[in-house]
Amino acid sequence: MVPYIRAQNVNLTFRPKNRDPVTALQGLSLEVGRGEFLSLVGPSGCGKSTFLNVLLGLLRPDQGEIHLDGKKISGPGYERAMVFQEFGLLPWRTVLANVELGMELKGVPASIRRERASELINLVGLTGFEHHYPHELSGGMKQRVGLARALATDPEVLLMDEPFAALDAQTRDLMQAELLQIWDRTKKTVIFVTHSIEEAAYLSDRVVVVTSRPGRAKKLIDIKLPRPRDYEMRLTPEFNDIKATIWNSLKDELISRGIGDGR
Amino acid sequence: MTGVVNFYRERESHILGIGFIVLFLVVWEIIPLWVSLPRGVSLFFTTPSKIAAKFYQLMAAGTIQEHFYVSAWEFVVGLGLSIAVGLPFGLILGRSRTMDALLDPYVTALNATPRLVWLPLLIIWFGIGIWSKIMIVFLGAVFPLLINTYAGVKNVDRVLINMVRSFGAREWHVMKIVVLPYSVPYIVAGLRLAIGRAVLGVVVGEFFGATKGLGAMMAIAASAFQVDVVFVGVAIFMGISLIFTLTVKKIESNLTRWRPEQVKTF
Amino acid sequence: MGVKRIYEEYQRPILGLISLIGLVAVWEFTVTYVIEFNPFFFTKPSHIATATKELLLGDRLWRDLAISSRAFLWGFTTAVIVGIPMGAVMGWRTRVEYTLDPFFTALYASPLVALAPLIILIFGVGLTGKAVLVFLLAVFPFIFNTYTGVKSTDQLLINVVRAFGGKERHLYVNVILPSTLPFIVAGARLAIGRGIVGVIVGEFYAASEGIGFAIAHFGDTYRLPEMFVGIIILSIIAVLLTEALRKFELIIAPYRAEMETR
Repeated sequence: MVPYIRAQNVNLTFRPKNRDPVTALQGLSLEVGRGEFLSLVGPSGCGKSTFLNVLLGLLRPDQGEIHLDGKKISGPGYERAMVFQEFGLLPWRTVLANVELGMELKGVPASIRRERASELINLVGLTGFEHHYPHELSGGMKQRVGLARALATDPEVLLMDEPFAALDAQTRDLMQAELLQIWDRTKKTVIFVTHSIEEAAYLSDRVVVVTSRPGRAKKLIDIKLPRPRDYEMRLTPEFNDIKATIWNSLKDELISRGIGDGR
Repeated sequence: MTGVVNFYRERESHILGIGFIVLFLVVWEIIPLWVSLPRGVSLFFTTPSKIAAKFYQLMAAGTIQEHFYVSAWEFVVGLGLSIAVGLPFGLILGRSRTMDALLDPYVTALNATPRLVWLPLLIIWFGIGIWSKIMIVFLGAVFPLLINTYAGVKNVDRVLINMVRSFGAREWHVMKIVVLPYSVPYIVAGLRLAIGRAVLGVVVGEFFGATKGLGAMMAIAASAFQVDVVFVGVAIFMGISLIFTLTVKKIESNLTRWRPEQVKTF
Repeated sequence: MGVKRIYEEYQRPILGLISLIGLVAVWEFTVTYVIEFNPFFFTKPSHIATATKELLLGDRLWRDLAISSRAFLWGFTTAVIVGIPMGAVMGWRTRVEYTLDPFFTALYASPLVALAPLIILIFGVGLTGKAVLVFLLAVFPFIFNTYTGVKSTDQLLINVVRAFGGKERHLYVNVILPSTLPFIVAGARLAIGRGIVGVIVGEFYAASEGIGFAIAHFGDTYRLPEMFVGIIILSIIAVLLTEALRKFELIIAPYRAEMETR
């Protein structure tokens, strides 16, 4: 059977002006099934986010290619949508207008846009905030807008680039639970980049440990926890075992990079 | 008694600020009553009341309106031209590294040098009529607009650009949806500077070889030692500049609702 | 590879230079071969080059520059001496700020150059008149930038110094001065531009010497190449002064490099 997403031997080197080139990805291969929730964990600057941008079609690999549903990815497309760590909300647009943005660019008629945006705002629990501006929202609410905007174009694949990294711990727990509910309802394929072992273990069907730069898939870990998952599950010994497995694989990468060497 | 103290405390900044200006005008007014000015000085001396009387007299005669009309026309056309040129060029230079590098020497040199030095050349090219003034207004006002638009474009949040690109937006959409709205506070700040430069251009442009316009009125009056007419001109320009500056500042503070960060310009 | 590398490193200056050379070449070519050349209306680079050589070798230009510089320096120095303490007091004492801010704001916002005819009338066409004009235009950037600098000194830093038992003197030297200095230098950059305006307007309006007079005079007598030389020299001086101050700003406060647009 052909996997839904297949990345083969992806290489990418950045060549910044006046500085040495940086190889971000080298020989990264990965397969993702339809409807799967997959997390990428790895040390800072290992190329996880770069890989996400390649998947999104904003960056072109020097070598290798990625196929989605049998078609080669060569640029952005409506079957994929990204949720950004820094939210990426237009500050001069209301919640509603921000959620409508993707549909607007897709050419969806205004009336349908409005209706669908309202539905999604409801789905992420922001009803009543349609006409607020981003600066009037908390971090968690901003990311709900980001999620609604990504879902609005009805993509097959949700790419999430450390979406909860900028949130405080409790908001983060809450958002994780809600993401799982939404994922369960919408059946999207999710590729989730995170620093947090706990987050990856809690959310995912599979976790990919990415090596320190240049990034490549080092180890695939199946998370055999039942679904639906709840917060108590995180307190079980099985969950701790899973975390230990991920940590053991990640540890060498952190050491080889030198902990404390941020970015 | 405490009532008076509280009244003062609450309005201290206004009372002191307005009080000083009033005091300044009063002292100015009564200087000639206090000291008898020497002949040489009294020739150049006037008082606020005389200036006000002159202002009223010139208004009643329609002299000010006549000159004002010419100056306003130069201002409007010159500023309009500078907006029409400054904004698109600012956008282009901000988005294209090559264009930026190619035009940078001219922008830097022209912006650093007071554009007034071009006045004699503009008079040769456009004559002493209205067009040489329009051109000097244009030259003065175009750079603040261009440079601030450029700065706005350069400071646009990368995440926002990536975000709209991820929805398949082309360069035109990136401009319309992200770059232009993001630059608006910068452009408005540039407009505030541009207005100041435009007024300066009108004044100085009309000093030289013009017969119409408020600047010309002042220059002619000065050579005839009509000091109060000169001050009438100064007061009009002051009033106009203040109205413009306050209006644009008001617009700027309304924009801070979503303004990404403090936009700092002078 | 080597050439490409060099190009990538120095792309901006290379393109800038290409563009300048291109402009000069196209200008010369067009005026010589394409359109009919009218020396009373236009000029060309080769004529400007000849005029440059003549003017640089003669002593008239140097004398004009010296005369303008003297007026500029007198006015500018006075602006520094008056403006910085005035701004500092406004920033440090709230009552002074309340009293003077509206008055100075009104003056700063208005085109003070409108006073030029009057100032020339009172102080004459010589050094004093121009210096007063320069002072009047250049003093406000110093006042307002010093004032803003002192006002925007981080209260936290003041508290830190006080918490460690710092005296008032330490506060001035270690906190307020370093955080105000970049503002003053930025103010100086603005003041230079305005000061040059003062000199030029003064000399355009009524003078018999100075670089502004020279430019106006060459214009009146249709000596366009000489007029261009004057403009170019003035531009070079202005660019050098402002760029030097910009570099200086970067040196004393590299952390503020992004703060201001040019």
